[in-house]
Amino acid sequence: MASLPSDDDRARFASVVLPHLADAYALARWLTGNRADAEDVVQDACLRALRGIGGFAGVNARAWLLTIVRHAAYAWLGKNRSAALLMVDDLEAVEQQQAGGGGPDGGPQTPEAALIAKADAVRLEAAIAELPLPFRETLVLRDVQGLDYREIAEVTKVPIGTVMSRLARARRRLIERIATDEPRRAS
Amino acid sequence: MTPPTTDPRLLVHAYVDGELDPAHALEVERMLAADPALAAERERLEALRDAIRAQLPREDAPPQLTRRIEAAVGLRRADARLAPRPSWRALAASVALAAVLASGATWLVRGPAPADTTADMVVASHLRALMAPQPADVASSDRHTVKPWFNGRIPESPRVVDLASEGFPLIGGRIDVIGQTPVPTLVYHYNRHVISLTAIPGGHPLPGGQAQIAGYNIVSWSDGGIAYWAVSDVAASDLETFAKDFRAANP
Repeated sequence: MASLPSDDDRARFASVVLPHLADAYALARWLTGNRADAEDVVQDACLRALRGIGGFAGVNARAWLLTIVRHAAYAWLGKNRSAALLMVDDLEAVEQQQAGGGGPDGGPQTPEAALIAKADAVRLEAAIAELPLPFRETLVLRDVQGLDYREIAEVTKVPIGTVMSRLARARRRLIERIATDEPRRAS
Repeated sequence: MTPPTTDPRLLVHAYVDGELDPAHALEVERMLAADPALAAERERLEALRDAIRAQLPREDAPPQLTRRIEAAVGLRRADARLAPRPSWRALAASVALAAVLASGATWLVRGPAPADTTADMVVASHLRALMAPQPADVASSDRHTVKPWFNGRIPESPRVVDLASEGFPLIGGRIDVIGQTPVPTLVYHYNRHVISLTAIPGGHPLPGGQAQIAGYNIVSWSDGGIAYWAVSDVAASDLETFAKDFRAANP
């Protein structure tokens, strides 16, 4: 029963959604991979948020908005980058088999902390952008946007155990990527 | 939190992320001390975390996006004023608004609540703490554990007393942000109800000393240059007794 948003809805939108626009945009940018599409996704998400503002329970505005942004981004990906979404199912299967894997000795190369600390913005950004979607969104929500595990579980609709294993795998891939980058740069 | 796994390779992430309760954190620290490979992994994870934080900082939303959104939802007026930047005030307002809505007192809400008073903020903090898994970030009935926990987090540790013999056992402490200042809040129990006691150095107590906001009682007083704000859903008289006992107790 969608009705036109009232002034009260807009006022609530202004106090609930607008303070978190930067987070919404950041997540959209990491999921779509570029700024222009991210703006479209955020606008779509905001219109969804305005329509649904009456259903917001008033607890965690940021997690609520990010959940909607993620929906909007997935809808956008489904239309424009369906290959990115197709990979998700396969990954989930792999993840199930290897849940909790990827330990300290799991990688082909394990760089020292000092090498990781030197990674620059370009390289980090490229390495994160290469992560498969479920790993990328989990890592971005935690390490770029600073959500805690419980909030990430809420936004990505998976149990906390899955958040933990995805985060571990995402970080392991980043660390390995930084290690394999370095020799090539040096040569 | 209590982790849903016992795999040390996953637990070390939760440890680095500050997600473990003190008991599990201690357990991971023991594992780190015994396992050099795990300790090296911890260093790598911290290096990665710090590198991301330093190299990929949070950005503001582009101004044109904010304008575009405001126009799309009908908030944008004809004048071309700049969009408001997200601020602590706006965050506090949204939390306080959420507090009012969650209490069911929706008749109070006409548009965004002008909720930047200390009373609104301590109630919002109390409510947010009740909705969190635990109302305290450090859970301990021992004031010698609670008081040092504040060291390093805020400039000055608060006065901590246990009032268990008066019926108000100390259960822990947390940091709340009032305005833009992190301040200590002690958490007490009374008949399974939670009492939050926020200490604001240099702050002013509530005029009149008592109020009720969104169904929560507030008792406030000043002592030694510190404004104390007690918030709870216990009866106003019980909260008064709590305040009296706190003032009378020897630290």
